[in-house]
Amino acid sequence: MAQAIIQENSILHGDYRKIVFAVPEMANTAKAGQFVHVRIDERLDHMLRRPFSIHDTDPAKGTLTVVYKIVGAGTHILAEKTPGECCDLLGPLGTTFTPCADDVVPVAVAGGYGSAATFLLTRECKQKVVLLIGARTQSELVLDDAYRACGCDVRVATDDGSCGVKGRVTALIAPLLAENPGKKFFFYGCGPLPMLLALAKTLRELGLDGELSMDEIMCCGVGACFGCVVKVNDPASPQKWHYERSCVDGPVFPLEKIYLEH
Amino acid sequence: MADLTTKFASLTLKNPVTTASGTFGYGLEYANFYDLQKLGAVIVKGIKSTPSDGNKMPRVCEVAGGMINAIGLQGPGVDAFLHGDHYLPALKKTGATVIVNMWGTSVGEYADVAARFDAENDGIAALEVNISCPNVKAGGAAFGTDVKLAGEVISAVRRAVKKLPVIVKLSPNVTDITEFARVAEAEGADAISLINTLSAMAIDIEKRRPRIANVTGGLSGACVKPVAVRMVYQCHKAVKLPILGMGGITCGADAVEFLLAGATAVSVGTANFVDPYAPLKVIDFLNDYLDRHHFKSVSEIVGALEL
Ligand SMILES: Cc1cc2nc3c(=O)[nH]c(=O)nc-3n(C[C@H](O)[C@H](O)[C@H](O)COP(=O)(O)OP(=O)(O)OC[C@H]3O[C@@H](n4cnc5c(N)ncnc54)[C@H](O)[C@@H]3O)c2cc1C
Ligand SMILES: Cc1cc2nc3c(=O)[nH]c(=O)nc-3n(C[C@H](O)[C@H](O)[C@H](O)COP(=O)(O)O)c2cc1C
Ligand code: FES
Repeated sequence: MAQAIIQENSILHGDYRKIVFAVPEMANTAKAGQFVHVRIDERLDHMLRRPFSIHDTDPAKGTLTVVYKIVGAGTHILAEKTPGECCDLLGPLGTTFTPCADDVVPVAVAGGYGSAATFLLTRECKQKVVLLIGARTQSELVLDDAYRACGCDVRVATDDGSCGVKGRVTALIAPLLAENPGKKFFFYGCGPLPMLLALAKTLRELGLDGELSMDEIMCCGVGACFGCVVKVNDPASPQKWHYERSCVDGPVFPLEKIYLEH
Repeated sequence: MADLTTKFASLTLKNPVTTASGTFGYGLEYANFYDLQKLGAVIVKGIKSTPSDGNKMPRVCEVAGGMINAIGLQGPGVDAFLHGDHYLPALKKTGATVIVNMWGTSVGEYADVAARFDAENDGIAALEVNISCPNVKAGGAAFGTDVKLAGEVISAVRRAVKKLPVIVKLSPNVTDITEFARVAEAEGADAISLINTLSAMAIDIEKRRPRIANVTGGLSGACVKPVAVRMVYQCHKAVKLPILGMGGITCGADAVEFLLAGATAVSVGTANFVDPYAPLKVIDFLNDYLDRHHFKSVSEIVGALEL
């Protein structure tokens, strides 16, 4: 747990914000896929912490960056904070994405703010990350520019066709494979649950491997309350699944563990 | 510095501050934050005879000043808890004083589980019996809201347990909680703890759906404290049993309210989710408070409310 000083809290576009915390102890250790659990308000009304993926870190400056979307009371309060104010952070928490071997191409598949969770892979993987990013419409695309600035191959799908291919992000996978015969890929997914389940299904059908970061409501963030569980495959149980805690057993789960009928 | 040592039934606790069942996992989740020996006791999440999955998601939601949960008592079952790597064997190594919270779905199951813990009691200081659970045989009504059923469960557990102190955890979802405190006393409980969560509900008006999958759940956190303090006060007047008081304790001042109302010890629950160090802050505050008011020991303020 640490008191982090807010250095920047700026508008990316629309309801998306970028917040930079000075918190050296976390900036040094955070890995792709992990999250921080933020106490947004000292008052009792919105006392529970909110989880946010660690988008980026700068160990030299001792900073950690989160990209968030204003969706409810907590994120509204967060958006009103100004540089110099403090936030109490728990973290880095949760399991990490496994950087892939040097001869494997890392492919991030992101929906909504999911592109924040996979960004550190651009620093951790040897090969350039391919980003497949999906959104309802162009204005909902987040961080695609940040990936481009790192030299990543960025491919876009929007539901309304306002940017990139019209359709779902999973539709971008087959063309990527077709263009690169013989190459090995490893997939990293992060986004809303329906997107992740569709992604898991597509990857399995195509015989591909990867890891998915599950987005579940959280409470304690440290494994104590069992409020954040997801179903994982369990051939030994009669119902073929059991619950695991997304805060400590996840949020990143290997593809083979994801139970498809949530 | 005042003496925080607390005699609670046959136990001697380092201080009166414990962690409420279900809000502190199996203890180890918080061992990275501080030495668990600093606590009066760690009360672990409820255990029954067999593993249980718990309820569907979403299981928790935030409300003004608190939260509603319907975790559904997910847990590993007695065997895994007693012998599994991540449970009691590891918790014992931390040197913490451990109180095991237990539950069942029938009177027989309560007795069996209690007997198991009593027989394999190495590393266990006491049993806390959660009677706010649905009675599967009686159509799901909670044992803890029916005086007769509550009496049967407490009596069965009492007969099954020879060594460990038995703390009966009362439900607040009743008209007169003192009736239940009296039954606990009459059936031979060593102590009572209160309150468990208050039956509650919240609705997402945009989706026109309940905010937790189970529809209703248990309310906890700061917003329940006045109800809990009132109930502790009433039970303290009604019975001689020591009381473990809880419900909305978020800081040391809250804990003092419970002690003054008649609790001998307290549990910190939901506050752990907000601040993992909350129980230690309560202990520090107690020390200051007792010094400031020139009390030599914490026992002096138990039930010391002036009317
Ligand atoms: C591992 C993980 C990483 C995340 N990373 C990001 C990120 O990088 N950027 C971002 O914008 N959002 C992220 N989220 C979602 C973010 O936590 C929620 O949007 C936020 O908690 C909403 O809070 P609120 O008070 O504004 O909304 P409200 O809807 O008012 O929240 C009410 C309650 O629900 C919880 N909640 C609501 N939605 C979610 C959700 N999707 N996930 C978890 N808890 C939720 C809140 O914590 C709070 O307790 C992440 C969630 C998880 C689990
Ligand atoms: C997420 C959660 C899980 C709980 N699980 C249990 C449990 O397993 N057994 C039990 O007796 N009480 C359980 N409780 C009730 C607490 O132990 C406590 O009685 C109640 O939350 C009131 O205290 P608080 O307001 O400080 O949280 C749970 C409470 C919460 C919030
Ligand atoms: S949020 Fe409490 S166990 Fe995961």
